[in-house]
Amino acid sequence: MADRTTAPASCVNHLLKNGVEKAESRLLVSRKTEINYEGSDFSLMRTTDDISLRITGINENRRASTVINKTDDYSLAQAVTELMDLIESGEADPAVDISGYQEEEFFSRGPEEPDVELMYSRLDEFVGRVRLEYPSLLLEQVILDHTLKYRSYENSNGVKLSSKIGEYTLVAMFTAKEGENTSSFNYSAVCTENLNVNLWEMGSIDELMQQSVGQTVTTPIPETFSGDVIVTPDCLYGFISTLAHYLTDHPMMTGTSIYKDSLNKKIADTRLTLRSMPLSEQLSGGYFITEDGFKAGNTTILEEGILRSFLLTLYGSRKTGHERAVSSGSFYVVDPGDETLEDMVKSVKKGLLLCRFSGGNPASNGDFSGVAKNSYYIEDGKISFPVSETMVAGNIKEMLNSIVSISRETVNNGYSILPWIMFNGITVSGK
Amino acid sequence: MKINNLKGYKDLFRGYTELRVQENRSTSVSIVDGTLMGNSRNSESGVSARCWKMGSWGFASSSELNSDAIKHVISAASFNADFLNKKADKNLGDLPGGHGFGEWDHSFKGTPLTQKQIIDFLRDIDGYMEKSFPLLVSRTVAMNSLDMEKQVLTSGGSGAWSLTPRTLVYAVLTVDSPAGPVELYDSLGGRGQPSAVLIDPSEFYGKLGRLYEHLLKKAEGIHPRAGIADCILDADLAGILSHEAIGHTTEADCVRGGSVAGDCLGRSVATPLVTLIDYANTAHGETCPVPVYVDDEGIPAKDVTIIENGVLKGFMHNRESALEFNADPTGNARAYKFSDEPLIRMRNTAIVPGSSSLEEMISSIEDGYYLMKSSNGQADATSEFMFGVVQGYEIKNGKLGRALKDMTISGVAFDVLKTVSAVSGDMKWECGGMCGKKQPIPVGMGGPAIKCRVNIGGK
Repeated sequence: MADRTTAPASCVNHLLKNGVEKAESRLLVSRKTEINYEGSDFSLMRTTDDISLRITGINENRRASTVINKTDDYSLAQAVTELMDLIESGEADPAVDISGYQEEEFFSRGPEEPDVELMYSRLDEFVGRVRLEYPSLLLEQVILDHTLKYRSYENSNGVKLSSKIGEYTLVAMFTAKEGENTSSFNYSAVCTENLNVNLWEMGSIDELMQQSVGQTVTTPIPETFSGDVIVTPDCLYGFISTLAHYLTDHPMMTGTSIYKDSLNKKIADTRLTLRSMPLSEQLSGGYFITEDGFKAGNTTILEEGILRSFLLTLYGSRKTGHERAVSSGSFYVVDPGDETLEDMVKSVKKGLLLCRFSGGNPASNGDFSGVAKNSYYIEDGKISFPVSETMVAGNIKEMLNSIVSISRETVNNGYSILPWIMFNGITVSGK
Repeated sequence: MKINNLKGYKDLFRGYTELRVQENRSTSVSIVDGTLMGNSRNSESGVSARCWKMGSWGFASSSELNSDAIKHVISAASFNADFLNKKADKNLGDLPGGHGFGEWDHSFKGTPLTQKQIIDFLRDIDGYMEKSFPLLVSRTVAMNSLDMEKQVLTSGGSGAWSLTPRTLVYAVLTVDSPAGPVELYDSLGGRGQPSAVLIDPSEFYGKLGRLYEHLLKKAEGIHPRAGIADCILDADLAGILSHEAIGHTTEADCVRGGSVAGDCLGRSVATPLVTLIDYANTAHGETCPVPVYVDDEGIPAKDVTIIENGVLKGFMHNRESALEFNADPTGNARAYKFSDEPLIRMRNTAIVPGSSSLEEMISSIEDGYYLMKSSNGQADATSEFMFGVVQGYEIKNGKLGRALKDMTISGVAFDVLKTVSAVSGDMKWECGGMCGKKQPIPVGMGGPAIKCRVNIGGK
């Protein structure tokens, strides 16, 4: 990696010599070691070495970018020549800019080298336990990888930020099958800095596998009702991502975001506090440098239900007049509530434990609908049976204001720390 | 880098080995509300090798493209396969054969468009939208093109080179309504480089005009009634049903993973009106949106008849699943980037046209829905599916009625196909599809319209 680290500076210098007014370059060098288990066997060991070098130039407010995956002098020169053509072809936009001067910094976290023998033995223990504890569970694909990512950002304002992050990730996709009865597939992903604990103890993976073996026989809900829906942490992530999308550049710049006029206004129940925390020490994943070339920070998005920040980049900020977010989103943390999950379930007269949501892209106005997967019907305070062919529908704006309770318990999968949240007024429709 | 340049490395192969050199080149331009916001070109290239050792695969890749890098990835892939083989001790036999040769070049042979010409093309469309669609509160027009250039050499003797381009123009239109913003989008274009697809912007006006009309109706649209309903799924939705809900369950690795299709081979899974094929490269005498002639394992690609007259007939295979299922490889092994290993992927999946007309099908429904365009779709091992629907109309007494707001439909595909009572005689390909399964990959999907019963999600 040492030779490649000079590429961003070379690109910026090349562009300045070619007469551009502002230049920036972002380098990502990644080295991955991956072991795959598929069906009933170890299937593949994969090692990859890749580069992504993004070069951006601005001249007379005309901006263009090119991305290559080479760092040799010839490739850099070619990329710069092509970029000059693209800038020349472009059109002026006064909002384009690069990040302002910041002190040079280097950040690092996690192991640089994989422990391949330990990776294999941890995965072997994992599949061995699945065979023993959950014999009806088919592991469609389990991938354990270690990735080392070196990132570097430099620009013509003298910014020089770089980071090196090593981490392990586990992705498991599974289905239970008994005779001809098949459960819906389910999956889980966790991120960790080390392999000190058993893989099944990470995040919610063991609970999800246990649930799957009880989901080979499912029942459609025989009616349509508006009721309480408890959304699990795995499922909640999708709804939070939807909320976050409405706060990003495109819907904000086009004025189509349902929250465009809601800054510092209450948009959710006062018990909801949501942060994007790429620097959290509680999370194994994260990032140190934002996409637009700033040292990353943690962002409070919702504070006791009040919208405190959009998720705008420098460009989005200059376009809309709102402040730039200090994070680039993701790595979401929701504050826990004060009820136990057990009590939350007990309080439901008729509702759903929504464990996975297979939904259409939410509409511009916040409407969503989709299928409840790997989920359970709750009746008279008890989890009754796993459901099939059951749909849920609602509106994200209304949903955030219809929180009944938030659990004390949370799940940390390295990417997020989220509780269970119960919402009221969601339409549940059966067959 | 052509085939002859790679052959010299064949002596380094130890056992079954694939060597692939690949470059993905893309161009992106986007204009949002009249402002040029995206103006970029990307190029990613490199080399990878994959080795098979008695049931264990080893894979390695490098973004460098020189002799040392090629030697390194061959050696590293072999090392990785040995590592796993010593641990896993699967002791499987040789992979089944099949060797493909040839060169397939779908590139444009004239002068390529410059970036300026592409921007001007989109600027024309943007100007047309601004001038002709007065009620818009936001408009986006964007173009993405992708050239995938691959060269594959295998230890068995396969040698193939292909360049498969795709150029798509997206238009996103938004109007206001009392319930908030309402959006509709469409993708135009298909196989070919920008120079072959972006010929005359006025050719797009008609389709954009119809999109705007649908959007205005949608802004005054209704939520459908929740529950099971008679529906016409137009080509876009019939295609996504074929791909997501049936196609994925019949990929042999998904069958091995427990998909419900594994128990249904030879059984009736649909009405006899349904024949479903994953076309390799040519359908009904025309080149498909994503033609594959030799796959990334060097296997000559052939059509896979998944359902024939309602009976489940076959699965899609790579070499490894063919060995496991005692079947022939079908040429479905494809990788997205040079650093990706080939997976079993669909190519161009569609139901074969029938004999009904769309008009007859609509007039046969007393109370139901005509569903035209999907936003996204997901399905699982049970064949239970969910599709977002962004454009559709109610049908009342055989006639189209009010437009529908965004909605979701669902069902169990093998049950839904048993309700198919009509298949239209026309055939439309939607070639904007990008399928996700560990890696993304361009796919073609489409077909005729079908009449069936599905579950409508609604309030």
